[in-house]
Amino acid sequence: MAITLPEGDLDTRLERYLEGFQGHFELEEHDAKGNALRIVVDPASLPALLAVAREELNILHLSFITVVDRQGSFEITYELLDLRGGRVIIRTTIEGEEPVIGTATRAYPTANWHEREAYDMFGVAFAGHPDLRRPYMWQDHFDHHPLLKSFEISTRRTFEGLR
Amino acid sequence: MLERERVDFLDHTLTGRRSERLARPDVRDEFGLEALDMNMGPQHPAMHGLLRLILELDGETVVRCDPVMGYLHRCQEKIAENRMYPAVIPLTDRLDYFANLHNEHGYVLAVEDLLDAEIPPRAEAIRVLMSEIMRLASHIPSIGFLMLELGAFTPILYAFRERERLQNILEAVTGARMMFHYFRIGGVKADLPPGMVEEIWEYIEGLEERFQPDLVDLIQGSEIFVGRTRNVGTMTPEAALEMGLTGPPLRCTGVDFDIRRDYPYSWYDRVDFDVITDEAGDVEASYRVRVAECLQSIKIIKQILQMMPEGEVMADMGRRIRPAEGEGFGRVESARGSSPST
Repeated sequence: MAITLPEGDLDTRLERYLEGFQGHFELEEHDAKGNALRIVVDPASLPALLAVAREELNILHLSFITVVDRQGSFEITYELLDLRGGRVIIRTTIEGEEPVIGTATRAYPTANWHEREAYDMFGVAFAGHPDLRRPYMWQDHFDHHPLLKSFEISTRRTFEGLR
Repeated sequence: MLERERVDFLDHTLTGRRSERLARPDVRDEFGLEALDMNMGPQHPAMHGLLRLILELDGETVVRCDPVMGYLHRCQEKIAENRMYPAVIPLTDRLDYFANLHNEHGYVLAVEDLLDAEIPPRAEAIRVLMSEIMRLASHIPSIGFLMLELGAFTPILYAFRERERLQNILEAVTGARMMFHYFRIGGVKADLPPGMVEEIWEYIEGLEERFQPDLVDLIQGSEIFVGRTRNVGTMTPEAALEMGLTGPPLRCTGVDFDIRRDYPYSWYDRVDFDVITDEAGDVEASYRVRVAECLQSIKIIKQILQMMPEGEVMADMGRRIRPAEGEGFGRVESARGSSPST
């Protein structure tokens, strides 16, 4: 089988990942706690960083991409699993009303649908994505991105003051 | 900043490869026939649920498929955003109605991570027990569904007989047959009713006996079954990892990965079980993986029943759950694969 799963001690593996990233990029923050290595990078270097993770460090699985609308900026988190207990959590912040970030599909083809959903729900565009259509919402006549904080739903009033 | 590009929908397909045929619509094969675009769904008798598929057919072979998924999008994230923490659990039930305890488990793990809550050991044991019963109640009918698709009606009856009995257990414990709402932040809703441990044990023993004749001997090795599943839908481990598959579909290609073992949660680090893999990666392999996983679930249930601790099933979480702003994370192995909640 051509797939090689990582071996060895979890802590040394996480250290190896950190060194691998630091050899190529300036990390804004990094911290290893438990089974997770958390790093913060600037959005410009993100696609290249994911390529390093896949090609050089052989981290096989992109688990998810999440976006958080911080009203004015977007926080994007990528979680990579090495399938043997190690997690790498990569976080980046992009500014602006119409945010754009490089695509992860070249390193992890599975990011295709994750990025389509992120675009659908938050309006975050992924430059270089091969097929950035909306997977869930109407593809025409719908100019909203429903998970933005500015998109209000009617039940909101029901719970106001209860929190 | 990069310019946002307007994407031309028609020229691209799901995998991002430009369709040869759409780029050159005049291409025909040696018989002068061209590939055909066909729409399937959103409502179709052969479809389990609302899903529209745009298929590109070459004769009777589907060469490309583009799913349109929005018909069943229920905006659960947005609803959850405006609810209080415990009120989200019933929503998670409805994500996968056939194996919903796993969804609840992932969500409550995430909130408990945010709260740094300590869960009583009996609650953890009950969670693992119920998760495995749920896995059985999902894997066994999936074997039946597979045979139903192949045109064999008998296995679905055996499979649903077992699911029915498992549902009786789930109903006795949780009070509901489908939408359980059983796992709570800090524990579970209620303790097992009196005599339930013995009842589950008895049922599991019986299931173990019936499993081989009803769901294995009847199917495995049958010439018709082999003819229609071997080398059908073959997936290589490389392609599976590229697509980000998890769960039984990934394991049937030979990649040895299970959240329960590699990222253990609840009590899974205390029980002993094997991660089942298969080399072939076809439909038959995925059937074999599910069969073997059912037997592993039975093994886990027996271990949990033997070491079931006494005590509380709910931690004291206060009257209203108000975690500080932050983030929590939970990941569980559901019947369909890895299910992370943030």
